[in-house]
Amino acid sequence: MSVNRRTFLRSGSAAATALAILPSRLRAQFGARPEPIASIQDPRLEDLTARALDAARAAGAVYADVRLSVTRLRRFLIDRVDDGEAMGVGVRVWVDGYWGFASSPVWTPDEMARLGREAAHQAKVNATGDPRDMPLAPATAVRGHWTMPVAEDPFMISPYEIQDHLASLQLWIGRVLNLEVPANNLEARAQDKVFASTLGSYCTQRQYLTTGNLVCGLKRLPNGQAPEFVLDCLSSAGLGFELYTADHLPRVRDASLRDEVRRQFEETKEDYSLPIKPVNVGRYDTAFDAMTMTHLLDQTIGRATELDRALGFEANAGGTSSLSDPRGMLGHYQVGASLLTVTGNRSDPGGASTVKWDDEGVEPDAMTLVKDGVLSDFQTLRETAGWLNARSHGCAYAPTAIEAPLQREPNLLLAPRDGGDYSGMVGQLSDGITIKRAKLDVDFQATTGMGTGMVFSVKNGKRVAWHPGAAFLFRATDLWKALAHVGSEPHVRRFGLASGKGEPAQLGIHSIAAPPAVIKGVTLVDALRKA
Amino acid sequence: MSSAVSDHNLSREACESIAARVFAFARGGGESWVQIHSWWNGELRWARNHVSLASDRRDLRIMIYRTRDLGFGWVSTNQIDDASLEAAVRAAERNCEINGFTRHPLPASDRPPMPPFQRPTTAIWSDVTNTTTVDTLGALVRQLVAPAKAKGLLSAGYIEMRAGSMMQTNSLRGGGEPAPWDVPYIAWTQAQGSLTVRDPEGTGSGWAGLSSDDWSRLDPMALATRAIDKCVASQHPVALEPGRYTVILEPQAVADLWELATKSFVRELAEAPQDPWFLAIDDALGLGRSKLGRKVVDERITVSHDPADPALGIVPGPWDTPVTWIDHGVLTNLYYDRDYALKKLNTNGGVRSLAGYRMSGGQTSIESMVQSTERGLLVTRLSTVQEVDHPSLLMTGLTRDGLWLIEHGKISKAVKNLRFTESPLFALNNIDALGEPVPVFRPVKNPYEDGAPLTPAIVPAIKARDFSFTSTIDAI
Repeated sequence: MSVNRRTFLRSGSAAATALAILPSRLRAQFGARPEPIASIQDPRLEDLTARALDAARAAGAVYADVRLSVTRLRRFLIDRVDDGEAMGVGVRVWVDGYWGFASSPVWTPDEMARLGREAAHQAKVNATGDPRDMPLAPATAVRGHWTMPVAEDPFMISPYEIQDHLASLQLWIGRVLNLEVPANNLEARAQDKVFASTLGSYCTQRQYLTTGNLVCGLKRLPNGQAPEFVLDCLSSAGLGFELYTADHLPRVRDASLRDEVRRQFEETKEDYSLPIKPVNVGRYDTAFDAMTMTHLLDQTIGRATELDRALGFEANAGGTSSLSDPRGMLGHYQVGASLLTVTGNRSDPGGASTVKWDDEGVEPDAMTLVKDGVLSDFQTLRETAGWLNARSHGCAYAPTAIEAPLQREPNLLLAPRDGGDYSGMVGQLSDGITIKRAKLDVDFQATTGMGTGMVFSVKNGKRVAWHPGAAFLFRATDLWKALAHVGSEPHVRRFGLASGKGEPAQLGIHSIAAPPAVIKGVTLVDALRKA
Repeated sequence: MSSAVSDHNLSREACESIAARVFAFARGGGESWVQIHSWWNGELRWARNHVSLASDRRDLRIMIYRTRDLGFGWVSTNQIDDASLEAAVRAAERNCEINGFTRHPLPASDRPPMPPFQRPTTAIWSDVTNTTTVDTLGALVRQLVAPAKAKGLLSAGYIEMRAGSMMQTNSLRGGGEPAPWDVPYIAWTQAQGSLTVRDPEGTGSGWAGLSSDDWSRLDPMALATRAIDKCVASQHPVALEPGRYTVILEPQAVADLWELATKSFVRELAEAPQDPWFLAIDDALGLGRSKLGRKVVDERITVSHDPADPALGIVPGPWDTPVTWIDHGVLTNLYYDRDYALKKLNTNGGVRSLAGYRMSGGQTSIESMVQSTERGLLVTRLSTVQEVDHPSLLMTGLTRDGLWLIEHGKISKAVKNLRFTESPLFALNNIDALGEPVPVFRPVKNPYEDGAPLTPAIVPAIKARDFSFTSTIDAI
């Protein structure tokens, strides 16, 4: 057996293995002192959660659930490694249509009971106001344990090894491709969770989220430009260290990481070699790359189909939704062209939002939000599903047990059709535009927006000029109705996207997958031009 | 500060005990820093005229920083038992070893001693904030919702009470006085309230909000009235042609516009830009120079910070001294840290980042501004503000929750929201009139890291010429 550097690092030092335990062992307090526990599956934790549920019930809860979370973070930056860990317990109580919630970082029997009582109090105080006839969608009791399948648990690999891997990647990029590397960061997160409820549920799970940020800078061009690219296959994913080491990751990349760096380097050189021309404002048939399509999907249909937004529950925060009459619109409202089908799930392998059970103990199901252009469903959790007399799709999520769950986006997919790949789409444009890597600024009803990115004009199937400063304006319904071609399955790409929601704001990360697409009559403007 | 320690948060003694244990667990010499945060949030959220969630949340964050040999290491935890703290120190020391391979920071022993530092005396504790319970808030929200409900409108909002404590200390100080970069134990409170009122058809939306360290300084009923009035007045807006308009930016809109710009007031960026940069001199003077000392905005504008300003109510950070970034229109200070001071400026200190500020104003009321406007727009607030051109600070964003056309000195009609494309520096160079500076609603500094204190701001309403709006938007 050959011994490579990694094998050497992995097996050569017992100390390295010991150091992989981070930063401390899990502890809980069942008696007088905190004591180490082997894992989140320790059966004594169920007794701990029962203290919270019993206290909540005794204090008048109609329904209660309790979540425990242990979140471990390890950040690799160019010049350092940081670690973090946080424990939390949150108890949520439902009394006559009102939620109360209480949380803290303390895992003791007394604290569980206090939180149960406090959450019940929070709910009951508000239940003394107007009665609220709000049924929770039914849920069944669940039990079990689930571990997100990852090939390489980043917390079981010596940090020396990961640091070495990142450093060698950076060295290769510098020496072989002659590029600068202004950023080369990796963040690994592992989260253990317990969920228990008065329905009799008790389940535990471990999730992973790994995110890379690798920025490569090319040499400054004679015109003063300093091209750089962010490697697009390292966005957040429900994966382990294989995000870096795998030779192939479905919907993420088809080749090794180094090959992807090389590919994107060549692509960037080609982009910047095109002549720069001013923007010809107008309407153009436009080929969007898969990344831009994921952003469009995320910030328009993804947000608009959150049922809590549609009903005004986010009005004072992120905003509402153009789909403002959910019952009236379901099954009728034309969201886009018949080519448009959007599905959601929390089961996609590698998805950032993938779980076995959501933060209400519901096993998520697949949902079709838009079917052949028509609005067919909404994202829901138990409370919002109750408004539609439907089953929850399992979209409850909170970053840790310290926060109360909100309805958050699942993994979303723009269903592929038979439109081929991005290059082919560009090749079919006789006089149009192509836009890559767009960043969007969409309004607070997910209705109108502006996108900036790499914008090129296309003549007779060839990119002929680059238009820095160009942007596209859109009205979401018009945009999706003008969908002309949707790419094929092999060309679907998935990206992990972050978004904020709620008050206080919570950060959520979910995966959006889409193929490239062509949209007719997109409005091109000069974003740098004032009125 | 009658009862600045509550059972919500860690006491001074508890913080000192944590720090002592962290220092005792350290092995192999070097230096240890520990920053201890604890906080409580009492929150109440409502929508569609009903409370949607009431919560009581507490948490801690212990950040441990070790330097040993030539390495350094960070670890954070929210567990304070001995075993957890010791494990965190060991992990920080392990990170010292890893990080020692990649960077050799200037050892503390090679740095000059800290200069004397007048520590601010601040009172940012409010018993009212700390003791306001969900019972009180629940009753209050019913009062806030009632007038909206009576008018057939939908109210959504959020009230938050926060109480926290923090301390930052270093193992080298022993039992002596805190070093300038330490933060002696401080307990703080902060409160915020905001609400949006919409009509059920979605044709109008009004918003009002405010933040303070002291809940008693907020008048929630006045906020509710304001949001309702704005909702009613903004119903059935008409489309207006984009273009350049005289604008009256209410104080909240000024803060929204200015917020992103504050992050760019960095000396290192201004003095060593890779590309053209709005705070760097891009003429023959070349790189290594900045616009420090030059006029950048209207001379009526001064932007400053005083940690002892009671109206600001800021949680002071380490080395928190009064600073004026813009003095009568002239750029006088930019953020830099001590490393930059030692390496580049041959000085020993730093300037805080542009946060927790007061912007000077004038005496003109919004009503007077309207009366003096022949044709213009009154803007409630801005949303989703983003940079579109980094070097020039050109930004885009949306108006939200109330936009009105002013004609012949009067508000004539509600208009549909607009996208703007404008630089805040351009706006601050085209000022016609300034209102009295007032505190505004501020979201938490980093909404995703609980415990981070709010960064308050006091800003005036501004009437400015030629503000650029580039497209209409559908959202209401």
